[in-house]
Amino acid sequence: MLNAEGLTKTFGGVTALDQVDFDLRPGEIHALLGENGAGKSTLINLISGTYPRSAGTLAVDGHAVEHLTPQLARTLGIAAVFQEFSLVPELNVVQNLFLGRELRQGPFLRSRAMRQEADALLNRFGFRVPLDAAVADLSRAQRQMVEIAKALRGRSRVVIFDEPTASLTDGEAEPLFAAIAQLKADGVAIIYVSHRMSEIRSISDRVTVLRGGKRIGTVETADVSDAELIEMMVGRPVDELYSSLTLSPGDERLSVRGLSTRSGRVRDVSMTARAGEVVGLAGLVGCGRSELCRAIFGLEEVAHGTIRYHGESLHAPTPHHMLRQGLCYFPADRGAEGLALNRPARENVTMAGLNLPALATGPVLKVWTERRAIAEPLEKLGLRPMAPENNAAAFSGGNQQKLMLARGLLKDFDVYLFDEPTVGIDVNAKRDVYALIKQLAEGGATVILSTSELPELTHLATRIYVMHEGRVMAELGPDGITEKSILSHYFGEVAHA
Amino acid sequence: MAEATRSGNAMVWIRLLSLPLAIMAALMLFGLLEPRVLTAANLRNIAVQTSFLAIFSMAQCVVILTRGFDLSLGFCVSLVSVAAAMAMVATGSMVYGIAAGLSVGLAVGVSNGLLIGGIGLNPLVTTLGTSYILLALASTISGGFPVPNLPAEFSGSFAIARPLGLPMPIWTAAIIFLLLFVMLKATRFGRSLYIVGGNPRAANAAGIPTFAVLTGAYTLAALLAAIGALLLTARTGSGEPNLGGNLTLESIAAAVVGGVKLSGGEGGVGAALMGALLITILSNGMNLVQVDGYLQNIFLGLIIIASLMISRDTGRR
Repeated sequence: MLNAEGLTKTFGGVTALDQVDFDLRPGEIHALLGENGAGKSTLINLISGTYPRSAGTLAVDGHAVEHLTPQLARTLGIAAVFQEFSLVPELNVVQNLFLGRELRQGPFLRSRAMRQEADALLNRFGFRVPLDAAVADLSRAQRQMVEIAKALRGRSRVVIFDEPTASLTDGEAEPLFAAIAQLKADGVAIIYVSHRMSEIRSISDRVTVLRGGKRIGTVETADVSDAELIEMMVGRPVDELYSSLTLSPGDERLSVRGLSTRSGRVRDVSMTARAGEVVGLAGLVGCGRSELCRAIFGLEEVAHGTIRYHGESLHAPTPHHMLRQGLCYFPADRGAEGLALNRPARENVTMAGLNLPALATGPVLKVWTERRAIAEPLEKLGLRPMAPENNAAAFSGGNQQKLMLARGLLKDFDVYLFDEPTVGIDVNAKRDVYALIKQLAEGGATVILSTSELPELTHLATRIYVMHEGRVMAELGPDGITEKSILSHYFGEVAHA
Repeated sequence: MAEATRSGNAMVWIRLLSLPLAIMAALMLFGLLEPRVLTAANLRNIAVQTSFLAIFSMAQCVVILTRGFDLSLGFCVSLVSVAAAMAMVATGSMVYGIAAGLSVGLAVGVSNGLLIGGIGLNPLVTTLGTSYILLALASTISGGFPVPNLPAEFSGSFAIARPLGLPMPIWTAAIIFLLLFVMLKATRFGRSLYIVGGNPRAANAAGIPTFAVLTGAYTLAALLAAIGALLLTARTGSGEPNLGGNLTLESIAAAVVGGVKLSGGEGGVGAALMGALLITILSNGMNLVQVDGYLQNIFLGLIIIASLMISRDTGRR
């Protein structure tokens, strides 16, 4: 149905995609696998017409397509659901679905017709989203649904999903998979980009693996093992993502009693964390575990309850104060809250530690030793490319994450709060993050890990608090941690799974 | 990702070189059209004019780096001029006048800073609001007329004196340039300006006290504006309620033409200085070749828009 041969894309002198062949059959789900920077995004951008290709041929239904533009792609029935949300937060669901393609009668909008069509569109995929809600008020999963519905307005024959589950939990992804299954049943061909091996395994028919802009191979999903796929992807066998932790928890370092935030996202939460342990925070996205971390760090206003740190009560924590007291927080959303993307990587590493003796004397920065001070942390985390003077924006997701994590290595912190540390980063970068967590906890630091990835919790955490709608539903000890036991509290009181 | 960097670097070079080239080209073009442009007297004149504008564009640069604006800069200059002049006339002392002028600048800067940094108001509208107040104050206390009869030592020290052969405005601009350059490169405050401008939320999460940084930025900008205002007052020899009329826009224009990004976090005082130089040369050249005043403004407007378009391109990734 879609056939590409020798697709090549160069940017300036750099080849992002090199002689890649790719074909797509009706009704198949074709996964694209590769590390950040392997060329997946470039390939789907060529297929959706976002970039013109530098060389190669592209044929749809046997007809060669010379100059593919986004408009032509749409006419051909090629739709793309991109990672970056293209929705306007202030507008409601219907307005977003019809943004720029409103139904009109003369100069007037046909509101009722749009509403009906929006309703039908969402129902087609079984998406339950309130039509009149502003997108800003929707959960991430619901926004994703709107995004998908928007892309699929009109007839689509090829649909590209670019990491659709990157910000969703397993439960939240269900309606998405149902929608994909329905598209497949309708004979639509699907290109599916994801970092999650389990998804690729469960939904895809074939997998094309890219590495360094080249196609390594296309295989039937059923014929290969995960290890083989990972090996194709990273170019060498991957023994084990996680290595076992040997921890000896010490004294209590941080405790929270009856904590509620003003936003109402955290309600009456109590928890403790000791030196040298990894405390997991589990739950659906939006269950309040992120807000709990933020409240402890001083980014979320506390309404009730106490936070005790090193035996002292904190009344109104601020990031400024907490960092100086040895508590380090890595936000979930790198772009929004983690990095100043238009500043050099170096400044992004040092920005949280400008008071450190290695970086400043009083108000004066030691500019001449700054590069040396960040060299070791970046070396340790394996920043690629090792170019600290490049703007943060020039790095891939995994390497941007490393820039943020490097802040935690500029000095020894007592407590590290990780919020979704592996969202949207590739396997190798994930392994580096896990190694860092292991090293920190084994070195006696307290690590609090809030994540949607169940395997991370089962492999890394010594204790887990499972949250639901702002409350802690369960605390799981070292013996009780399995994916099943975590999931059983994921949806509140009602035992699930 | 590498491709973005490489083409980004190329664009950075184009950008770095385009301004000096434009400045040289403008000088040569006007020099060909009108020989008086390249005389020593006119070049000295350009240097002095540039110094004034550069002081204001560097002030503007400090707040633009934080994603802000200071629309009150021009009328702050007016108020400082009038207040300093009235204080001098009343006390007969230059020192009291200077102190009054700097105090006015400090007060304006701190209020702007607290409103924007402390309460978190939008800088554009806040400084627009203060600019109305400042204009009204400047007009009211002066009665709308220039304040004459300043002590002779004032103009003597700041307009006529030439330590080591260079006029005071050039010295002042040069010293401010050096101090700001070092501040932006090598102090925590300077670095914080860039980080706050680059991403205020990330700055906050990194423990940078954004409210203090913003308050500091607006205070510094207003103080620099006050210094420029005192120099201008010394030059005209009287306190002028209309002194700052065009300076707000000219200072922003110079900073933007020089390459200080309105989106925050990118640029520096070098850019503000170059922008001031280019705009001064263009105005001076157009005056000498007798381009109609309105036409001049059209050219300047086009240049500002063109420079925004260039910087928009380099901003893409």
